[in-house]
Order: sequence, then structure tokens, then C-alpha cells
Amino acid sequence: MEDFDKVVTFHTHYGALTFSRRYGKGCTLRPVPRSLSSSCGTAAYVNGDIAEEFIDDYVEGIYIKDGNGWKRIR
Amino acid sequence: MSDKIRVAAAGIVIGLSAVLLVSFGNPQNMGFCIACFIRDSVGAMKFHSAPIVQYFRPEIVGIVLGSFAISVVFGDFRPRAGSSPVLRFIIGFAVMTGALVFLGCPLRMVLRLAGGDLNAVTALLGFVAGIGVGCIFLSNGFSLGRAKEESHAEGSAFPAVMIFLFILFLAVPSLFAFSESGPGSMHAPVWIALAAGLAVGIASERTRLCMAGGVRDIFLIRDYTLLIGFAAIFVSTLIGNLVTGRFSLGLADQPVSHSMHLWNFLGMFVVGLGSVMLGGCPLRQLILAGEGNGDSVMAVLGMAAGAAVAHNFSLASSAGTGPGINGKIAVVIAIVMLLAIAAIKTARREG
Repeated sequence: MEDFDKVVTFHTHYGALTFSRRYGKGCTLRPVPRSLSSSCGTAAYVNGDIAEEFIDDYVEGIYIKDGNGWKRIR
Repeated sequence: MSDKIRVAAAGIVIGLSAVLLVSFGNPQNMGFCIACFIRDSVGAMKFHSAPIVQYFRPEIVGIVLGSFAISVVFGDFRPRAGSSPVLRFIIGFAVMTGALVFLGCPLRMVLRLAGGDLNAVTALLGFVAGIGVGCIFLSNGFSLGRAKEESHAEGSAFPAVMIFLFILFLAVPSLFAFSESGPGSMHAPVWIALAAGLAVGIASERTRLCMAGGVRDIFLIRDYTLLIGFAAIFVSTLIGNLVTGRFSLGLADQPVSHSMHLWNFLGMFVVGLGSVMLGGCPLRQLILAGEGNGDSVMAVLGMAAGAAVAHNFSLASSAGTGPGINGKIAVVIAIVMLLAIAAIKTARREG
């Protein structure tokens, strides 16, 4: 499975789906990492910087890879 | 350990617990059934008076308290509420109606399949179809709105009520109704049932196992993690049933079931659609309630009210003969109502 250095969580599944559509290639949707949430929501996994235009009201948080876990950066 | 292995392990815990509970006295193919057990518990508290389905099921208490305890230990206990509580009550009511027309929740549907009950095949198709329709709404913007943080007192209230009712059940059993025949009269010893519930509550909370979520994630994001739990429950229960001589393949004479396939399909269509709208199957609602989610408590209370109404007004199916006219009308109304709520709460945004 491909590794990603950032994960974006959302308030709704729809938020994740529209983020993925707008972001295009390089974004993969998977369940939110269990270490971040006990909810069964959908998260977007990406590499590199995330342009401001992709960050809307649906985005709950952005996390960066930190060892074996994730560290919140937004 | 990867998420997939954890979910598979949780599925095995649930499957083996179900086999164990049947060995100790629960009805056949009903080691666990969230809908049936809420219905039995509601009957034990005399909210309905169907004499064959009244027993306060410790499994329900165990699932909620297992989730509550493990979520406190691992910091997942985050009380929140306020995401369309009344709509969630109504959707929970509809889900229970559909489940009692089929005669089982999604978990029991898998247990019935693993026992060889082929009537559950059409139910599975209906469940998947309901989830598929729900996913169309999800991908077009369906949401019941955001929940807000709540106090620990608010989040602990439902688990506390569960503890109170369980103590009352042990201390003053005369307050409760006990079936003398039928499925309600068949049950494992209290402490074994409670322990199995606790194990399932802990395993499900840690892994987010959800019968509806597994299918939803395939439709929405092509992810199979949660479906592995679904498969693990099926395989472990199937092996358990084969070993204990409880596997019986066929349509006729299956325990607590009927062969009205259209209504098995439509009943579980309601459950699938409603579960997607609630964000999880009935088991998942109990787990979230244990984590302090007040919106899921509302869904559970809606299911409890639905169970009482289903038996007071003859909406529930009878084993062997299936639903009567009231149950069929109720399922049609439930489908229309869920689709209306889904349409109203879907707000598409360009993007």
C-alpha cells in the first residue's frame, strides 16, 4: 500500500469525496486512521503541500506523518 | 498489527461469542441480535406485551458498558450530540421496523447465513441495496449535521442508565417480564451473556466494526477493511456451527425466520438505508452510545420505541408466516419516510 505523508479528516463523507474530486490525482480516500478517531469517517491521504483552495469548511483537521503516528498541523 | 487484522480478530470474537451464547441457551442463529435483544429488553420492561419476546438481555448492557469502559481507557470517550437528534430517533424507529419484519439486525443476518438459513440471502441483497441507495445520497451531500461537544455527565448518562437497569434486573427481577416460551425464554446465564456483551463491546469499539460501514466503504472508497469483520463473523460462526452440529442449510424450518423473500429484502433495505443515514448499523449505534454519543443514544431510543410499537401494533413478522398487512404497510411507509429525510438533508455543493 502506498505511503502518504499527510492525512486530511472531514466532518462528512461528502467533504472527503469533494476534496478528492477537486484535488485529483495523488489523493486516496481511506478510513480515518484509528489512532486519530474512533469514528468510521473517510479521510484523504496525500503527499506534499495542500493548497489553500482545497481547504474548506468540510475539513476537520490536517495531520502530518510523525514516526508511526500522525501530528496535527491544522 | 494492521487495521485489517484487528477487524478480523474482532469479527472472530463476535462469531465465537455468538456460537458460545447459543451453546449456553440463546435461540439458534441468535447468539447476538441487536434488534431482537433491544426488543426483548423493551418487552421485559413491559413497553410491549408480546409474551414470547420478553427478557432483559444482559448482552445489550455488556456491549454499551464494554464500549464505555474501553473508550474511557483509551481516550475515545468524547461526549457529543446535537446532530439532528429527532431525525435520528425517527430513523432508528424505521430501522427497527425493517429489522423486525426480516426478524434480525444485520449482525443476526450474518449469523443466520452462517447457520445455513438461505432466507437471509435475499435480506443481504436488500441490505446491500439499501446501503447503495444511502451512498448515492452520501455522495451528493447527505448529512444530518455536525454534533457539538457535550459534558461528561451527558455522555455518561446512558451507560449509567444501563448499569441502573442491570442492577434493578438482578435485585428486583419481579419488576420485569420473563417469557415462559418462545425466543424470549431462551437465554444464556446472565453473567455469561454480560461477559460476551462486554467482549463484543470492547472488540467493536477498538476496531470500529460495523456491518453497514463495511459495505458502504466498498461503494464509496473501495476500501475493504470493515468488510473483513463482516466476513470473519460469518466464517467463525460457520465453523462454530459445523463443529457444534448446528448448521442446517435450506429455506424451510429455519429458526425464528420466514420465507417471504420480498419482505426480507425490503425489511433489510430499510435497515441498510437507515444505517447509512445514521452512520452505522444497530451494533455500531450501541458502541457509539457507549462512547458518549448522544445522537446514537437517540437512535437507540428510537429503535426501542420502534420495537414496542412493532409488537403493540402487529408490525413485526411472525416466525414461519412472515409479516402481516400492518408490517408490510409499515415497511413501505419507512422506505418513503427515509427517502424523504435523505432527500431533504442532501445539499449538493459544486466541487
